[in-house]
Amino acid sequence: MRAPWLLLRKDLRVLRRSPLLLGVLLAYPLVIAAMVGLVAAYANAKPRVALVDEDGLPAQVEVGGRTFHVERTIDRVATEVTLVRLEREEAERQLRSGRIVALLAVPDGFVGDLRSLARSPRLELETTGGGISIRVTQQVQALVYQLNRQLEDAYVEANLEYIDLLLEGGEGTFLGQRFDVLGLQGAGELLEELPPGPRLDRLREFVRVAEAALAETDDALRATANPIELVQTSEGGRSWALSAQAQSHALALTITFLALLLAAAALAAERDEGALARLRRGLVGPGELVVAKVALAALAALGLGAGIVLAFGAIIELGDVEGGQPWSRLPVLALGLAAAGAALGALGALVGALARDARTASLVAILAVLPIVFLGLVPREVAPAAAYLSDAFPFAHGLRFFTSALFDLEPWRTLIREAAWLVGLALVYGLAARGAVRRLGA
Amino acid sequence: MSILLAGRGVSRSFGARRVLEPCDVELHAGELVALVGPNGAGKSTLLSILAGALDPSSGRVELGARVGWAPQRPALYGRLTPRENLELFARLDGQPSPPDVGLPDTPAATHSVGMRQRLNLALAFLGDPDVLLLDEPTASLDSEQRVLLWERVVALRAGGGAVCFATQSLEEVERADRTIELQEGRLVVS
Repeated sequence: MRAPWLLLRKDLRVLRRSPLLLGVLLAYPLVIAAMVGLVAAYANAKPRVALVDEDGLPAQVEVGGRTFHVERTIDRVATEVTLVRLEREEAERQLRSGRIVALLAVPDGFVGDLRSLARSPRLELETTGGGISIRVTQQVQALVYQLNRQLEDAYVEANLEYIDLLLEGGEGTFLGQRFDVLGLQGAGELLEELPPGPRLDRLREFVRVAEAALAETDDALRATANPIELVQTSEGGRSWALSAQAQSHALALTITFLALLLAAAALAAERDEGALARLRRGLVGPGELVVAKVALAALAALGLGAGIVLAFGAIIELGDVEGGQPWSRLPVLALGLAAAGAALGALGALVGALARDARTASLVAILAVLPIVFLGLVPREVAPAAAYLSDAFPFAHGLRFFTSALFDLEPWRTLIREAAWLVGLALVYGLAARGAVRRLGA
Repeated sequence: MSILLAGRGVSRSFGARRVLEPCDVELHAGELVALVGPNGAGKSTLLSILAGALDPSSGRVELGARVGWAPQRPALYGRLTPRENLELFARLDGQPSPPDVGLPDTPAATHSVGMRQRLNLALAFLGDPDVLLLDEPTASLDSEQRVLLWERVVALRAGGGAVCFATQSLEEVERADRTIELQEGRLVVS
């Protein structure tokens, strides 16, 4: 292994003498990672939904004796979408042009139905046919659910007032009509004043049972309204930007760019400079040349990856972020970085051997990186074929390895599986690259 | 005279294009051979095959000695200094650290064409080869360096080695003991 070591030292020396190239090689993937992060953040941004108010929603609505501030209530529950008030015509136009992703209409008579407590008022949702429509529908459903949750209490309170009226009697209103109710207690008192008899006893028994049953209605009604209640507490953990997922994505993305590009360009440069012909004269075998480039990529991935992990760790520690950085996993992570770098380096060496010169190799490597990365980011549930295809490239395995090493409580099974994938891919691509290098002089 | 290097029926094609027809070439101990022919005749291809830098499409190369090779376009690392180039190739070849060649200690890419050619030739002389294959070695050398080169070439021949050099110079051809001429990939004079 003397020849690969000598070539590796040469490549490192060449890199050190090319500060601009080295800077670009380090900065470029970091910039791409940041941009992908921004895009990912944008994907989590609230979609714009038009609110078309055809009923003239008042500032306040009284339902079941409770007063709702309409704007305040909507703001409180519309956490997942940005509601924009528009006229229907303008909303329809913007929906067609894609400026908004959905139209939520409050039809005429909505508030009347709401106040009546007699039938459910309706909201109308119109969405586009794109892939985002499912997400928007879910978010609007969540919005309506939240509104319903706000209204449920009012409805329950109103219904309980009717129950009280039935129990105790008194004056009440229903559908705008005022009425006077005797109530079960009043009925019972009247029955007591009547002469006893078997038929009257049956009436008294009915009033007693009905009183007892209605007295239990309060909890039953509340339970029926909320068969399962979700209690949510806010966790004081780390932000998305400092999450294990963000860290592992940044690692996988940056080393994929760096290792693939570096190995491809370094191998193609041997040919560009004519040195490959001299090396082929029994000084360095094709396999040794590939091993040197794979080692270069692995070393570069290890260096850059360790830098990123340390940077994340420093921010997390200085910010006293809950959970901290899993420093004890660093050796395992280092192994993963080296394995992923080696697999990517082998793929890069193959690209470098197949390309005619360093410029072509670099271009092909850049063109290859983006599909490899995006294939690896597509969730298996969304496109199984893309996920299976991404298994043939090191990115997805590196990503899973890093996520598991940084995040999982019991990571070993995943780590061993993904490490085996990375080593296997390094061997396959390495052998293919050796064959391609051998063909260069053939 | 013993044969130090021989090409037996060697030919070369690049894709469908045949650049060297099958030919037999022998280099004997103590001879200086000029390889001549117009541009594109196949001289560099033949030398690369004999040097082991390029596989022949057919035929074989028989080696009986250590071979040094200086291609027409210097084959070296531009980002390394001349010393680093020499040390790297010497160590790859298991040779001791070579003597200094008197070139500036800056990356070879910053040197003149002539200086890079001197380094190219110094790499060919690494390990004291018995056979030298030189592709237009004096094309970019100044007169002083040409004299020094020929002194080394003559000394190698006198020591029982063999030198084959491609050239376009009639003056250099006259120095040779024998001439090999290629025309459109065919060996016409040997």
